[in-house]
Amino acid sequence: MSATSAPARRATKDVRRAPRFPTLHRYLMVLKSGRGITALVLLGTLVALALLAPALFPGGYDEQSSGALAGPSAAHWLGTDEFGRDILVRTIYGLRTDLTLIITAVPVSLAIGTLLGLTGYLNGRLGLFVQRALDIVLGIPGLLLGIMIVLVIGAGWFALFSAIVIAGLPQFGRLARAGLLTQQDREYAVASRTLGVPRRTVMVRHILPNVVDPLLVTAAIYTVAAIFIEASLSIVGLGINPPQPSLGALLNTGARYVQTLPTYVIGPGVVLLLLALAFTLLSDALNKAANRR
Amino acid sequence: MIRYLVRKLPSVVLVLLVTSVIAFSLPRLVPGDPAALLAGPDASPQTIAAIRAELGLDQPYVTQYLHWMQGLFTGDLGTSLQYRRPVSELIGDRIGSTLELAVLAGLLLVVAGIGLGVAAGSSNRRWSRFLTEGTNTTMLAMPPFLAGLLLILVFGVALPVLPISGEVSVLSDPVIGIQYLILPAIALALPMAAGIARLVQTQMRSVQQEDFVDLATAKGVPSGRIYRRHVLRNSLGPAVVAIGIRFGDLLAGAVVIEAIFARNGIGQLAVTSAQASDYAVIQVVIVGTVFVAVMAQLLTEITLAALDPRIRLA
Amino acid sequence: MTITTPSTEPAGSLDTDLLLDVRGLQTHFETQFGIVRAVNDVSFTVRPGEVVGIVGESGSGKSVTARSILRMIHKPGRVVGGEVLYRGQDLLGVSDKEMQALRGSEIAMVFQDPQSALNPVMTVGDQIAEALIVHGGEKKASRARALELLEQVGIPDAPRRLDEYPHQFSGGMRQRVVIAIALASSPKLLIADEPTTALDVTIQAQILRLLAQLREDLGVAVLMITHDMGVVAEMCDRVVVMYGGRVMERGPVEAIFSAPQLPYTADLLAAMPKLEDGEEHRLPAIPGAPPDPSRLPTGCSFNPRCRFAEDRCRESVPVLTIRGPEHSAACHVTGDGAPLTPAPPAEATAARREIGGEPLLEITDLRVDVNCGRGGLLGKADPVYAVDGVSLEVRPGETLGLVGESGCGKSTLARAIMGINPVSGGSVCIGGQELGPKDRAGSKRIRETVQYVFQDPFASLNPRRTVRQSIEEALEVRGVPAKEREAEILRLSERVGLNPLHLDRLPHAFSGGQRQRVGIARALAAEPRLLVCDEPVSALDVSIQAQIINLLSDLRDELDLGFLFIAHDLSVVKHISDRVAVMYLGTFVEIGDAEQVYSDPQHPYTASLMASSPKPDVAQRDRERIVLTGDLPSPKNPPTGCRFRTRCPIGPLFRDDRQVCIEQAPTLTPTATGQMAACHFPGELAAPTA
Repeated sequence: MSATSAPARRATKDVRRAPRFPTLHRYLMVLKSGRGITALVLLGTLVALALLAPALFPGGYDEQSSGALAGPSAAHWLGTDEFGRDILVRTIYGLRTDLTLIITAVPVSLAIGTLLGLTGYLNGRLGLFVQRALDIVLGIPGLLLGIMIVLVIGAGWFALFSAIVIAGLPQFGRLARAGLLTQQDREYAVASRTLGVPRRTVMVRHILPNVVDPLLVTAAIYTVAAIFIEASLSIVGLGINPPQPSLGALLNTGARYVQTLPTYVIGPGVVLLLLALAFTLLSDALNKAANRR
Repeated sequence: MIRYLVRKLPSVVLVLLVTSVIAFSLPRLVPGDPAALLAGPDASPQTIAAIRAELGLDQPYVTQYLHWMQGLFTGDLGTSLQYRRPVSELIGDRIGSTLELAVLAGLLLVVAGIGLGVAAGSSNRRWSRFLTEGTNTTMLAMPPFLAGLLLILVFGVALPVLPISGEVSVLSDPVIGIQYLILPAIALALPMAAGIARLVQTQMRSVQQEDFVDLATAKGVPSGRIYRRHVLRNSLGPAVVAIGIRFGDLLAGAVVIEAIFARNGIGQLAVTSAQASDYAVIQVVIVGTVFVAVMAQLLTEITLAALDPRIRLA
Repeated sequence: MTITTPSTEPAGSLDTDLLLDVRGLQTHFETQFGIVRAVNDVSFTVRPGEVVGIVGESGSGKSVTARSILRMIHKPGRVVGGEVLYRGQDLLGVSDKEMQALRGSEIAMVFQDPQSALNPVMTVGDQIAEALIVHGGEKKASRARALELLEQVGIPDAPRRLDEYPHQFSGGMRQRVVIAIALASSPKLLIADEPTTALDVTIQAQILRLLAQLREDLGVAVLMITHDMGVVAEMCDRVVVMYGGRVMERGPVEAIFSAPQLPYTADLLAAMPKLEDGEEHRLPAIPGAPPDPSRLPTGCSFNPRCRFAEDRCRESVPVLTIRGPEHSAACHVTGDGAPLTPAPPAEATAARREIGGEPLLEITDLRVDVNCGRGGLLGKADPVYAVDGVSLEVRPGETLGLVGESGCGKSTLARAIMGINPVSGGSVCIGGQELGPKDRAGSKRIRETVQYVFQDPFASLNPRRTVRQSIEEALEVRGVPAKEREAEILRLSERVGLNPLHLDRLPHAFSGGQRQRVGIARALAAEPRLLVCDEPVSALDVSIQAQIINLLSDLRDELDLGFLFIAHDLSVVKHISDRVAVMYLGTFVEIGDAEQVYSDPQHPYTASLMASSPKPDVAQRDRERIVLTGDLPSPKNPPTGCRFRTRCPIGPLFRDDRQVCIEQAPTLTPTATGQMAACHFPGELAAPTA
């Protein structure tokens, strides 16, 4: 390969040229796996349902019909609850609650956790201290953490939000820290430092992009855990305040009628399972895409 | 080995200490006066003062904390305001139930998790791998309470073969007791077992790429023996760590499972106490749970050291 | 699929006493990009007790050949054709069970990396005994035999070490254990896949000596897979040269080295720097890079790089034809009797450099604590001085070579100069100014004078940034305005020999040599006056090494750069350096004019290093060698007195009266021959070759 090839040859396309948006390009690879497509289709359907809920059921989740605890019928596919409200409608509104919760709480947890994990870049000792603090949070089971938060600030949406944010911090923090420790000693990061590239630029250009992959995979896995935290707290009656439905709250009351009206738990149960399944599959697909070279 | 454990000691003590401080601070973090809250809306200032004195709330925080810690060590766990009984009694009544559940679920977690993982990791047939992976993914997406509800629907409602509500102590009547225990334990353990299984499986796949497996092949070791002697033991580390971490979640999961199966255990006690703001009980439950969780983690460290001489002899 | 190309050699068995007869072996990998023909029609033989070398660069198919013999190809690879006759029995035809019985008992294998070849959770005794037990050995007897084997491969204190775990052994000792495992069932054939590549020179000498001795004592035949022509010359009776998945030449080692019949073999030998080389000259490098096995050129796979290539070389694959007794080669050109003229020495450098001026780098009594800043929340870690009292200087236009084995502190020294590792004692002056504690890596003062060229061209480029972005980053820091950068990038890439059309590729689309060029371009973009090159060629194939060495010396001469050139390969250092420093366990043991140090080493360590390096010259295989015993001690706990005394062949280990070496640390003092050496008895151990 001679170094002085004429630029005239530029006409032929360089097949091995890097794509213009390499990161985006890589994540689009998610679509190449069966799991990724299944996950996105599933998730898309659920999100669309939740978004369209007000349009589909303009009566809202509180609309009551005549009979309480009626079995499935053409009008009420999953039957009605103890106040005569349609279970399917409440399930979809419950899904809306859950989605809002995870879509706000998980990214916040990811962001704060990552920042905490990266404190070691500013100061080694501070990083070590933060790591220890996160280890302690990790030692406390998520649900117990939720109960403690409920005790302090009272049950409700914000308690669930805080529980999800705090319980995720150790995972994201540890991962970001582990990534930082390996990445900052990578030769290309050292090479940039010796060239005199400012520390902040090294961080943004060379360290962060290489830490992001495992963080995203973990975020997808953690979303499943977040759904579980919401549902668990709601099932023991420490979740969303009634009458607002959430999947866990529906399961909580539904469990009381499991013998007489099984659809009361089956409906929200299946939706919860599908939601969790979508994120499990998404994490698999992301993991695969991240490891592709 | 002992030196290795001694090095772990400070962090264990630190976790317990911090947890105790958090548990202690809980009622004091709540806006408002706990004594006034307890006394009810119509109480006179004298009554509130009396309650405050009874709870020791009029003393400095440090004194209160030390007093409370002393109680923890001597077994004086305080009095439940909800039940008007000593906390130690309340817990003593219920600990058996939770212990039975946790022990059986823990056993299931280890056996099923590692068993499934090894099965998936050592199978090379396409369909069997597909089957195990499918089951695994579904189980990963299925939280314990959902598994519990599913089991209730199938084995309690559709084909009523097992009791779905209440309990009988295994110690007093093993045959009936185990029947009551089996569904809750499965519900609690299986979803977590899926996570463990997946760890074992991926680890086994990566260990199979190691050079020492090639060396074993080159010296003529049959493939069964390679799995047993070379792959398996090198694959268990991450799973053991995960089991240690998951044990705390298992205890927490018991809260939900007890609610669904109407078992009267520590979890139920914690929930009712939380709903009634009965701090004396909650504080003990928190410290106790974290203590057990930390001990479980320590146990996994020992297991890990037993598995890997590089840790043991470091 | 084409069937095996007919060989013009008389097929069939001339020898009835062949141990291994590989005929037309083909191994393919079915990947998503198509079929990769990793091994394509390979034939060779091994007789009992013989050492046969398979030599080739990365991607030549040598390792796949070795694994194919034992049927140990990983998916998606598959042996698709040919025969592997072991004592007349085709191994490709036997059942899995029979094959398993043959592995270890008849044919055994030694792997490249002793760090990963042993099971970390099993004692070495159990691992050796297992090799016997699976072939029907009885438990107790197997353990006794394991002990015997450990002693045979030269592990001291064997009864105790039998129950230890692999992590308690050093790299060289682990490789001995791997050899013991291979020998356990007294196999007739040992396949050694790069057995010394991961080891240091002095340890490599120990292992090679062990292999030679075992062959003598046990009569085991060895199939040695290697990239190192030096190892071939020292060890082998016959050689098979592989390139692009094919056997290109094979024959007795003497014939191959003295009269190669293949342009590739001849040029490869010429491209290697040699210890005996005298005056400075450019290496006759082979252009280009070894082919990617998934995109082999048509015709002869070497044709794009060959000096003699003709049209027919591009059209048809040459077959092996007989060139002498047992010597055959696959080349259209030499097959017609055309002589192989020696490669013309590359044109001499235009600019003649001058050494002189103010020193660019001056180091006095430098100490570096690698544990500095480590430790937990409470307390610090104990200091470990990887560099302990080192002084040196480098002037413009001058190259100071730094040799030493892994762990001697040479990389730490380089990193301390760059400000990556903090200095704990002594001083570093760069461009006449002493570095203060605030001068961290990349500070203006350091970066404007010194730049770093990394060892691993795969790790030193961010896999997510294009080559253009990597070079541009350096220009940005230098303050080149955005408008002028494009022209500057083009100028730099032409200067280091990169195709400007490839600048928008990601690093993984480049070969190792090209990546190293990118690394050099990036360092040059900062316009430094001194380059610290940390093992810049050790990760590269031999044919590429010469290109990079030539590039570096051209740059030095043209830009009047100073070099601190770090390497473990003595001949590479000799080739490029004006002065040489030999480092052992954090200190310099000898420093002086390169010619002088190499022709007349004064320190016993220097002499042993030189004696240990394998030489690509069959005539020298019987030379007397000094093989050092033992391993490099840990810098955590260096020996008292002279640091080399625990391995020194003229020290207290062999001479009881030399207590001075234990009590007193020698300092660098001028010797009679002009260089400086840190030895109480300089010059006593003479270099074995003149």
